[in-house]
Amino acid sequence: MLFNSLSFFVFLVIVLALYYTPIFNWTFKKRVLLFSSYIFYSLWNPPLVILLWISTAVDWITGKKLATEENKRKRKMWLMLSMFVNLGFLFFFKYGDFLLENFTLCMNALGINFQSKPMNIILPMGISFYTFQTMSYTIDMYLKRTERAKTFLDFALYVTFFPQLVAGPIVRAGDLITQFYEEKRATVNQFIWGLFLLTIGLFQKVVLADTLLSNTADTVFGAGKSLNPLDAWTGTLAFSGQIFFDFAGYSTCAIGISLMLGIVLIENFRYPYASLGFSDLWKRWHISLSSWLKDYLYIPLGGNRKGIVRMYVALMLTMLLGGLWHGAAWNFVVWGGLHGTYLILERLQRNYLPFKITPQNGIFLAFLTFSCVNITWVFFRAREFSTAWSMLKSMLLIHTDGEKLLQSFDIIKVLTVVSLMFICHWMMRGTSMKTVSEKTSPWVLGTVWAVLFFSIAITQGSGEQFIYFQF
Amino acid sequence: MNLKQSLLIAFIISILSISTWELYWRNKGYYPTINDDKPLWAMHRADVETATQDDYIILGSSRAYFDIQIKEFEKATGKKPIQLSSTGSSPLPSFHDIVNNTAFSGTVIMGVTPGLLFSNTSPEASSWKRIQSKIDYYQKRTYAQRINYALSIPLQQNLVFMSGDEEEWADDIDLKALLRQVQIGNRTQAPMKPPFYNFGDVNLDRNMSMTNRTATDTAFANTIIKVWGFFGKSAPPPNKKATMAFFMEDIKKFKDRGGNLILVRFPSSGGVRAGENQAFPRSEFWDYLVNQTQVKSYHFEDFDQFKNLKCPEWSHLSSDNADYFTRELVKIMQADGAILNHKTN
Repeated sequence: MLFNSLSFFVFLVIVLALYYTPIFNWTFKKRVLLFSSYIFYSLWNPPLVILLWISTAVDWITGKKLATEENKRKRKMWLMLSMFVNLGFLFFFKYGDFLLENFTLCMNALGINFQSKPMNIILPMGISFYTFQTMSYTIDMYLKRTERAKTFLDFALYVTFFPQLVAGPIVRAGDLITQFYEEKRATVNQFIWGLFLLTIGLFQKVVLADTLLSNTADTVFGAGKSLNPLDAWTGTLAFSGQIFFDFAGYSTCAIGISLMLGIVLIENFRYPYASLGFSDLWKRWHISLSSWLKDYLYIPLGGNRKGIVRMYVALMLTMLLGGLWHGAAWNFVVWGGLHGTYLILERLQRNYLPFKITPQNGIFLAFLTFSCVNITWVFFRAREFSTAWSMLKSMLLIHTDGEKLLQSFDIIKVLTVVSLMFICHWMMRGTSMKTVSEKTSPWVLGTVWAVLFFSIAITQGSGEQFIYFQF
Repeated sequence: MNLKQSLLIAFIISILSISTWELYWRNKGYYPTINDDKPLWAMHRADVETATQDDYIILGSSRAYFDIQIKEFEKATGKKPIQLSSTGSSPLPSFHDIVNNTAFSGTVIMGVTPGLLFSNTSPEASSWKRIQSKIDYYQKRTYAQRINYALSIPLQQNLVFMSGDEEEWADDIDLKALLRQVQIGNRTQAPMKPPFYNFGDVNLDRNMSMTNRTATDTAFANTIIKVWGFFGKSAPPPNKKATMAFFMEDIKKFKDRGGNLILVRFPSSGGVRAGENQAFPRSEFWDYLVNQTQVKSYHFEDFDQFKNLKCPEWSHLSSDNADYFTRELVKIMQADGAILNHKTN
């Protein structure tokens, strides 16, 4: 089910009505939330809810054992069981075809005539998100960093909570399960603020991503020919804006819906396009994933505790795997590799060419970071390397005689939206929407809210799927 | 921060602005219509799964869509046909879908627009992609999408601003369409498609009928004619060999399981007809098709009833003429034994 759909609107009204019915106790309400989360997921593909159940059952049992088991070897065995099941699902459903395809290529390169048919396995929606979430619980239990969930219901709800089930934020057990222990009820202000966030998120997705930017990105990346530099840059900037509004829009909706239920989810985006460098970017973009990768991959790989070379290797490995998390294709690995390279270069610069960031040079640094991020998006969006190379050649003015594909208005539209986005990120980088809203008159806030709602209403989209659902 | 006050203000302004928007477009002559989209097509495609040998399916492009009127067909035969035609599409992918993915062995009435049927078998060709996207949607649609569609119907039927046709008409009023209308020069120097306005209304039965404006306003009909001219000039050459090979394989399967295929060449007139006669001479395309397929076939030129029918925009019949055409076509087919009369009284 998509947030930007009529069925979700009806679904949410029913869930809220049941949730706030005074005759039901908290346990019953949690059951309602759990059952509705399964409905939310299964309306997409009912049989795949079984994967959720298996993942939930395995990690619940593992957590229970880890809470009492002291034998180190047995503890490790339980951890391995959880990793095997969760990563097994992920590898089979997400990376099965990719591994088979690369195995075939390797065999053929070695002169062994091996042919394979693609398995064409359906990718369960949000599998990368919920497997990472359940794994974090088990790993934290193993490392004794978190308490065991009090009841199976609390744990199942933690794995399945519908606002963040299919595209995050990836929430840690300590941040979410504990909220289920006592009855939650949004205050009037929380409820209204949640509704406002839902409107903002839908506006980002429906109006900005799908209506103003997606067509241009699709046209440019689907052209299959050498393009004029302006067209290549416009297409890349359009995708840059599209993926931000799409994904940040989803997270904003998720946080808003959750808040309407009185449950607080962590922030997932903090105006990332005004980042001052790449370390800053990863503290602002998809925060729940980058902190997951840091805690469960980068630090266990040694982090910055085992010398500079080891740190760079850990950094690069983390980013390469982070790239692969986004999709089973080499272009995502290259995307991760580029980010890893940027992070390493930034650390080298800090060591050997340090300089002070001032408000004057800050905006140039933010713009430079944003430009470098755009280069990485080319690999993220292009389906083939040939497309990515062709785009880069145009963007870096190596090819200047490519075809003009976009009309002037499309270019103006994209550049306007993306420029406003960048300026907005720059102005907001040190503050939050809540803080700004608190200083805004109710009339202005109400009017802005109405404009957002009106724009959504007159934009009859086809309910295009959120980009991150496929990851 | 007084959020309650903000919510109240947002609510009032939203209601006022949306009502004003709705009234503005109604004042401009718009009225609520059903969108001709994939979910509607899929809803009818689902009916094929339970269709019997007595049922009829209509396949083809926009001519089969506009020119066969469901009610008239049902009145004359006693059976409501399943309308699965798709504008600008080849009928071959949908026939292939029915032959290979269902057990249907009733009657398929297929509209033959030579420029589309003989166009191409490439999945990237527009005439193929348009219908294939509907088939794919049907095969992959989720329960959530089905519920969304059911919920959207009352809104489409009652609100003008809820229109958002997949065809991307020049007179659509959703935000994307309004922005599409803004043109500043022609940077790409590519030939610009003339504005293509909606000229038909569809209902939940997937019955398409030409709007009254198209039938009566010559200037408006001429805007559609200009679009046919544009498409005619940019159409790729036909690929008779590939399309026939693809088609014949499915025809054999369909006939072998007792299916009844009927081919119909619907009327065209004016420049469109002249263009078709030139690019797709009857002897080389229609006669060849009939000869190869060996199924019941009806060309409008062969019947006195149809010879004088004029298409207001050269390619489709007006609503009244489509009623007449449907009645007469059914009579001809019944007399020929191609279809039965299922009426009980």
